[in-house]
Amino acid sequence: MRKLAVDVVVIGGGSTGAGVVRDVAMRGFSTVLVERADLGQGTTGRFHGLLHSGGRYVVSDPESARECASENEILTRIQAGAIESTGGYFVTCPGDDPTFADKFLAGAANTGVWAREVSVAEALRNEPRLNPGISRAIEVRDGTVDGWKLVWGAANSARHYGAQILTYHRVTKIETEAGRVTAVRCTSLRSGEEVLIECDFVLNCAGPWAGQIAAMAGAHPVEVVPGRGIMIAMNHRLVNRVVNRCIYPADGDILVPAHTVSIIGTTDVKVDDPDNLAIEAHEVQQMLDAGEVLIPGFRNSRALHAWAGARPLIKDDRVAVSDTRHMSRGMAVIDHTTRDGLDGMLTIGGGKLTTYRLMAEHIVDAMCDKRGEHRDCRTDAEPVPGSESGRTHLVSDRLHDREHDRFDEQIICECELMSRKMFTDALASQPAGSFDDLRRQLRLGMGPCQGGFCSVRATGIALDAGHLDSERANGLLRLFLKNRWIGLWPILYGDQVRQTALDNWIFQGTLDVEHLPQPTSEVVL
Amino acid sequence: MSRVVVIGAGLAGLVAANRLAEVGVQVVLLHKGLGGLQLGQGTIDVFGYAPERVFNPIKAVGSVATTHPYTAIGGKAVLTGLDYLKKLLPELLLGDPESNYQLPTAVGAIRPTCLAQPSMIAGHVTDGAKLVIVGIRGLKDFQPQLIAENLARTPLPDGGRLRARHLWVDVPARDGEIDSSGLTYARAFDDEDFRVRFAKAVVDQLREDEIVGLPAVLGLKDLHAWRDLAGKLAHRVFEIPLPPPSVPGLRLTEALTARALAAGVRIVPGVRTVRYASSGDRVTSVTTAAGLGGRGYAADAFLLATGGFESGALNLDSHQVVRETLFDLPLAGLDQTPLIHGEYWGPEQPLFKVGVAVNPKMQAVDAAGIPVFANLYAAGGIIAGASGWTEKSGDGIALASAIVAAAAISKELA
Ligand SMILES: Cc1cc2nc3c(=O)[nH]c(=O)nc-3n(C[C@H](O)[C@H](O)[C@H](O)COP(=O)(O)OP(=O)(O)OC[C@H]3O[C@@H](n4cnc5c(N)ncnc54)[C@H](O)[C@@H]3O)c2cc1C
Ligand SMILES: Cc1cc2nc3c(=O)[nH]c(=O)nc-3n(C[C@H](O)[C@H](O)[C@H](O)COP(=O)(O)OP(=O)(O)OC[C@H]3O[C@@H](n4cnc5c(N)ncnc54)[C@H](O)[C@@H]3O)c2cc1C
Repeated sequence: MRKLAVDVVVIGGGSTGAGVVRDVAMRGFSTVLVERADLGQGTTGRFHGLLHSGGRYVVSDPESARECASENEILTRIQAGAIESTGGYFVTCPGDDPTFADKFLAGAANTGVWAREVSVAEALRNEPRLNPGISRAIEVRDGTVDGWKLVWGAANSARHYGAQILTYHRVTKIETEAGRVTAVRCTSLRSGEEVLIECDFVLNCAGPWAGQIAAMAGAHPVEVVPGRGIMIAMNHRLVNRVVNRCIYPADGDILVPAHTVSIIGTTDVKVDDPDNLAIEAHEVQQMLDAGEVLIPGFRNSRALHAWAGARPLIKDDRVAVSDTRHMSRGMAVIDHTTRDGLDGMLTIGGGKLTTYRLMAEHIVDAMCDKRGEHRDCRTDAEPVPGSESGRTHLVSDRLHDREHDRFDEQIICECELMSRKMFTDALASQPAGSFDDLRRQLRLGMGPCQGGFCSVRATGIALDAGHLDSERANGLLRLFLKNRWIGLWPILYGDQVRQTALDNWIFQGTLDVEHLPQPTSEVVL
Repeated sequence: MSRVVVIGAGLAGLVAANRLAEVGVQVVLLHKGLGGLQLGQGTIDVFGYAPERVFNPIKAVGSVATTHPYTAIGGKAVLTGLDYLKKLLPELLLGDPESNYQLPTAVGAIRPTCLAQPSMIAGHVTDGAKLVIVGIRGLKDFQPQLIAENLARTPLPDGGRLRARHLWVDVPARDGEIDSSGLTYARAFDDEDFRVRFAKAVVDQLREDEIVGLPAVLGLKDLHAWRDLAGKLAHRVFEIPLPPPSVPGLRLTEALTARALAAGVRIVPGVRTVRYASSGDRVTSVTTAAGLGGRGYAADAFLLATGGFESGALNLDSHQVVRETLFDLPLAGLDQTPLIHGEYWGPEQPLFKVGVAVNPKMQAVDAAGIPVFANLYAAGGIIAGASGWTEKSGDGIALASAIVAAAAISKELA
């Protein structure tokens, strides 16, 4: 067993945990973040990609709207590299109540969310694929955000301030003594080694799993109501701005241009198990229909990949449990002292990725209060590593980079313009990582061919780089293909079926991948 | 003279066009692009896995389920087809219908195939062989260490083992280019000077008795480039096929196309056939999407050789409806629901066995077995019931169904 001792253990490596560990470290505490998988592998890697302007909440939830507006500005400053400032529209589609736009504008004025009505002609000029039947359009400052870049940025900043990050470590127990948290036990999923981390404070940022973590400390159950939402990435940017329906928040009312794709979403269904999120066929149809309303002909474009995430909402008695959309997205910090008579632990739930920094500020403030000391939050003042220039991301950045290094570097993933060096650098920093771990940082295999051409190259290069042996290399290839399929088969139609058939001809036809020596046991991480 | 329209320029369409032209039929070949033959591995598979590894492909053809296309096609047509191709392309295809080659792939698996190119044969795995797999730095689709290590730890199909190591050489296909396609390398290998330079970079690193495995880029136009290189290296060499673009696939496509043109086939490239007209139980013409209103092609018989899902001949739409996209033919295999499931490494997705049913003349038939049109035939990947990539049967089905269809058509028209 390995032993560590720190002031604060942060549990969960999503946006919330990464933001919290950064804040804790910047305030001078010694700290460790423990994540059972890779950073950003939970909800944070399965969200919609929207950096809210606040517009979505100006009518339904003014408090959230205000928070989004100010956090949007802060993040654009401190995490510029993760953000594309696309701008956005709220549009009134045929059949939508045109007076909602008036409520919207009033709400925006009221909450300080920047908004400006533009002519339909202007909106259509800027977004020519938009439904020409829209009757009103309001411009807002929505953006898009790469959740993985954001998390890595925050985590790297935390490391810079001395924090440790333990990925692939699952928390199994929180030790208490005389009503106080004393240590966190976890297990390395790679080596099986037990790790005991002595600490005097635990910040539970396990998102939809926060209830499970609270239970490990013997607290009364924190009821988390995971609200499952599905999203579908469509090939190409059908729009270059975020496009929202100008209606009371509903299913499938937002289209987000993220990197090379556009993402339609989402749904909201209460589920019991955040580890088991299905993508139902009827929900896929619902999203395609919803897309059609915004972009006529939507169904004819190619769906690349689908995924589902679970909103980490903490139960709020004011609304029915089955209707998670109308629960407050506002964050809730649960104080286990008053609730359970347990000192040294706080749980945070709710919130949004857009407000992750603010959530961190709240919970760390609460912790400082409980410790009876005051330390200032400085997370809004300093850019994270990689975002120092303040320059936001552009979809053309990679093209620009490849134009410059194309005589020196091979392109390993053509769809996403990933160079060999990008891959080998990421591999060197995460030598035990799976190709999915690398994918989250590099977008390897996320384009139209879904790994058809790049994954064998990646396998060979990883082996050549000396980080693994051929058995693991094959195992990682198998795992990568299997994992890509999870998001492919629910949305398989049209050109993506063609692509799949081509990929099958390549992998099974030409390469006969199935008849590689079978691994003694399947690689799982 | 009677006239036949063949739609599709994959293996099925090209073989059928050649066969028909050779017996004096006037053939028009319409295609919207070259087919899978030029993208694939460049060998002729007949049966590779059933589902166990197949050593005698023609025997395996004889023992398929009744729903499998080989049942309607029959083993005799497969033999005729293989014999035909070997005679038509003696510089490109060798092999024995009763014995599969077992050849290394570009990930280091050992893959069965029936006819292979002479440049590949030395790769046929044998107990105790010593292989050296040579990667070229500028060619990213060939990762020699992965290939060598996988080959070395794989028990051979007949029980033995081989030894394999790898090495890299850095010989750019074009000055200053570090990211070249297989095609660029193939054109370089057509050039004797390049072969001299390449041999020089490799030869000193070879050990006695080693067989040299190289990416399948050893010449496109010059079909003897590989032999010349072997001479320069004074070692046996073999080619390992790469993902598309496939140089061996291109060699086959170009050779079959050249033979077809020489036999008098009129090829109309780059046109999509979009509709047809019929009268009674016969198709009278098809129309391509060319110019305003398209261009019609009337004929006495029509062969649908448009491939499968990969070529757009079959389509699954966003409402989950499967269609044959040109004639909207009735489809077989739709009863195997769900058509798509979530297990990647599980059983074949039933969707990919969906296709057109045929009778022993290769006429497209409905569920009752009645020809949809008296003069509409189908060949190749469009036929229902096979899992071409898992079985390694796609080429054999395309080839033999084309042989049968061509024979039935010429008999009908005679
Ligand atoms: C469908 C959907 C769409 C959304 N779209 C947007 C959007 O467009 N914009 C926006 O701002 N917000 C959006 N959100 C909200 C946002 O994604 C989430 O609020 C945010 O990602 C939550 O982050 P988190 O860190 O709290 O949770 P998570 O990212 O889920 O992190 C919790 C982590 O805890 C880990 N964990 C669990 N158990 C253990 C254990 N025993 N030991 C160690 N670690 C453990 C998990 O592996 C996980 O990584 C969306 C949410 C959903 C569901
Ligand atoms: C990457 C790849 C790897 C492969 N590997 C193997 C392998 O390992 N083993 C194996 O057995 N097979 C393999 N194949 C498949 C094999 O070569 C054959 O392509 C397949 O079996 C079907 O052959 P086909 O001639 O019927 O159709 P295809 O080769 O698909 O040809 C279809 C033709 O029809 C044309 N067409 C389609 N619709 C229209 C229209 N409306 N109008 C005009 N023209 C049209 C297309 O342009 C094309 O010319 C592979 C294929 C690919 C793509």
